[in-house]
Amino acid sequence: MSTDSTGDYDGPVTEEISVTVNGETVTAEVEPRLKLSDFLRNECGLHGVRVGCEHGVCGACTVQQEGRTVKSCLSYAVQADGMEIETVEGLAEDGSLHPIQEAFHETHALQCGFCTSGFVMATKELLEENPDPSREEIETGLADNICRCTGYQNIYEAVERAADRMEGGE
Amino acid sequence: MSTQQPTDAEPNVETDADAESESESFTGTGLPRVEDHRILTGEAEYIHDVTPESCLHMALVRSMHAHAEIVDIDTSEAEDHPECELVLTAEDVKEQYNPMPTGIPEVETDDGVEPLEEWSLAGDVARFVGEPVAAVFATNRYVAEDAADLIDVEYDTKEAVADGMAAREDEVVVHESVGTNVIDGERIEFGDPETTFEEADHVVEGEYSWGRISGVPLETAGVVATYDDETDSFDIDCNIQLHTLVDDTIYETLGYDADDVRVNVPADVGGSYGTKIAIHRYCCLAAMASKELDRPIKFVEDRIENLQGGDMHCSDREYRMRMAVDDDGTMCGLDVWFVDDFGAFPRYPVNQVLKPLSVVTNSYAIDDVVYEYELALTNKTSQTAYRGFGVDPHIYALEMIVDEAAREVGMDPTEFRRRNLIEPDQMPYTLPSKNIYDSGDYPATLERIQEIIDDERDGGLLDPEVVGAKREEGKYRGVQPSVIIEPGVSGSDWTDRQRSDREELEGRSREEVAELPEHLRAELRADGTVRASLATDSSGQGHQTLVSQLLADELEILPSDIEVDYLDSVDAPTEYGSAASRMAVMLSGATVGVAERLLENAEELAADHWGVSSDGVQYRDGSVERVDGDDSLSLADLADIDADRDERLTQVSYNYDHPATDHEEFDEAFRRKFPVYPTAAFGANAPIVEVDVETGEVDILKFYTVRDCGTMLNPMIVEGQAHGGIAQGVGAALLEEFGYEDDGQPQAITLFDYLLPSIENVPEIEMEHTVTPSPYTETGAKGVGEGGMIDAPASIATSINAALDPLEIDEPADRIPVAPDHLRKKVRDADQ
Ligand code: FES
Ligand code: FES
Repeated sequence: MSTDSTGDYDGPVTEEISVTVNGETVTAEVEPRLKLSDFLRNECGLHGVRVGCEHGVCGACTVQQEGRTVKSCLSYAVQADGMEIETVEGLAEDGSLHPIQEAFHETHALQCGFCTSGFVMATKELLEENPDPSREEIETGLADNICRCTGYQNIYEAVERAADRMEGGE
Repeated sequence: MSTQQPTDAEPNVETDADAESESESFTGTGLPRVEDHRILTGEAEYIHDVTPESCLHMALVRSMHAHAEIVDIDTSEAEDHPECELVLTAEDVKEQYNPMPTGIPEVETDDGVEPLEEWSLAGDVARFVGEPVAAVFATNRYVAEDAADLIDVEYDTKEAVADGMAAREDEVVVHESVGTNVIDGERIEFGDPETTFEEADHVVEGEYSWGRISGVPLETAGVVATYDDETDSFDIDCNIQLHTLVDDTIYETLGYDADDVRVNVPADVGGSYGTKIAIHRYCCLAAMASKELDRPIKFVEDRIENLQGGDMHCSDREYRMRMAVDDDGTMCGLDVWFVDDFGAFPRYPVNQVLKPLSVVTNSYAIDDVVYEYELALTNKTSQTAYRGFGVDPHIYALEMIVDEAAREVGMDPTEFRRRNLIEPDQMPYTLPSKNIYDSGDYPATLERIQEIIDDERDGGLLDPEVVGAKREEGKYRGVQPSVIIEPGVSGSDWTDRQRSDREELEGRSREEVAELPEHLRAELRADGTVRASLATDSSGQGHQTLVSQLLADELEILPSDIEVDYLDSVDAPTEYGSAASRMAVMLSGATVGVAERLLENAEELAADHWGVSSDGVQYRDGSVERVDGDDSLSLADLADIDADRDERLTQVSYNYDHPATDHEEFDEAFRRKFPVYPTAAFGANAPIVEVDVETGEVDILKFYTVRDCGTMLNPMIVEGQAHGGIAQGVGAALLEEFGYEDDGQPQAITLFDYLLPSIENVPEIEMEHTVTPSPYTETGAKGVGEGGMIDAPASIATSINAALDPLEIDEPADRIPVAPDHLRKKVRDADQ
């Protein structure tokens, strides 16, 4: 840790954290004010974490932390110390898309794609909790994410298709 | 002829490769997009992912006042910050660079012609909250913002004007040297409106407001600028829209030649809908600092900057509409007057006040029309384009006055509309404003949507019993369809009408009209695959998919053998690009053209190789065969043969001319610089609304729509465009607004205040299509990018009027958005 107590500027105060991101442990010196979203994007190179508002409305930055979705723009990297994070980059295995990703592709549930990582992660949690959601349950489950392009119609289709495909476990 | 054709936009659920091999033709199918994989896996590179090594970050100091003199800027503390490398103020900018080009560069005043200048940083006066006053450059964004906080700006505040109607009074003038806020305006008459209004049985009048909204894409504006000392040139990566057209806003500001400022847009842009056309300020400031510091400079706007001072708001209008109508229900005349509040500077898209002329009477046959507008400046952030480009408010105000006219003559509003529709035998139909509707059966579309509504009246959402019971609870249901036109494929020549001498236009000859074609390149690669290069940018429309689909059919190969990339502004010619519902038509035309050229050349090359005449060879399924059956050359062989030639035959380009240029019918519109939009997609909506008179809330229970955009090149993409446009229309009609206090303080600066529709706000949309190909375009396609945003707000507003009809409220939807507090007030007023 370095501090600026002498009055001579020798860089900001930092803290060492260690976070398991998509199964790999990342250790880094970070400023306490570094947002988790910026840590994932800039320190870990996980650009699938998108940043659309940085005040918790759009959901583009949605990731899973300890198995629950969080908006990574709303917390600091130091708060994730010792935790497990999963981002959209952790979903595809050996180059083949996760069933949720596949379903989004097949049903045209993305246009510009800026919201897509967030929707895919939110859908993952939704289907983990409720493998066969009704339209109303999809609506509630995805209400914290904004898409400006698709009008959501095909996102319903994608979630339903993914649910069908994932039935009986992945 | 229009045929009922519910399309199955469902793509094949098997892998793309299977789908490909089973399909005979890719065009016309919902081929899943080639763009998706990189996006879904997080690999797509948007501008915020571009961070060159050694790059510095920009932060902006923005005015917190709507109108203030800038007395002093103290940058010393920021400059002392150890990680701050540079601070720029207007003084630095003015020393070395130019003002930014505007839409109205000078204004005629009593004292002669005064320039109306906008600089990248405000100098003596700040004119809106959020206007950049200083730029700070530091090691990362966090530190840059720290340093920006250390800048001390001393302001002397002035009175502000934040309302277009008030601005017309000129009590507060936004640009003193110009002396007025109304810097442009025009009154155009078509036919003989004066006599018509005098002689008509009735004249109805109404006033309607369209609140300030915008596209608000999920991705904000961003730029990475890199100066090259050796060549004295710039590389500017950014997410600007129309980078091959509006790059002049960057290079002219910098004072460089076009060739020395290479503007490059990533393949993936997180939405634009018109709003990123005017982000050049950021590009210029980043470029200036890059030159000064000899390091790349990055800037990504944050959401608050974007909403309050991002130069990206759109139409903000007050309408006064009049309609002349006869007892028998004939619409005889239309009189449109409005003021558009453009904000502090007239940015490039000033011509959106004119685009409504392309659909001036919507789907109705009315010959006598007055169209008059005033463009007013206020102390708000500047306007730019947004999906619909000013047509959406016009259609809304027009449909409101149509409702009012129906009431006046005591006719059912649907029957009133039907009587006045342009009939199929009038097609192609020349509007009084000289644009032409290409094709379509409007009465059939209205009839079909009425059938759908009638079904809902029979045991459905609108069953009289249900409607009655709901009314008991204070919930009023209703629906009111109309047929609404989406003008497609803007010409470019008319777009500078406001910078032309309008009187001289009357005597202008057709030869003086200069249109921009759409440019496309294609090249055979050594492995026999094809690379196509677009001269436009994309922001989610699926242009790469569209081109590979069409090219695969033309070249009789698979879409997976085609790669589509993008040209930067230097490699591409100046052309229009992706806006104004152009791409389905322009890009498909260019693709067919470039493929034809490639095929001809392939045959020529093969004939040459074998020493036979061109009759002796034939292209088929991705190879050229000798007609005598002796030999064949694959695309890879041809690329190989061509590799040694000086004049490469396997690298071709094609310019698809604007489709209206071939048709004399458009000559008058071209000559006089009236908006030329040669395709008219159309549709009719039935949003079934339920208004809660207690809360003023509007719930759309279901959104039916019957649409026609001519030939559908990829029905899946067509439907996606309609879904997205309708969702934005729902937001415009019910939720979104950039409100302002009287002193110019913005009320919507976060997404908590500017309400984007979530999945909970957008109803189920049920869509049907008819297909009436355009006679004017290569593929029969019509422009399709903006329709939902143009027609949904008007349809929702007329449906709210219909729902509340029993309460005899005076025009409940006379203001967009129809927010709960507005409706509550209307209900209260009616009660008293
Ligand atoms: S960026 Fe985190 S919610 Fe918008
Ligand atoms: S696809 Fe563009 S925001 Fe959802």
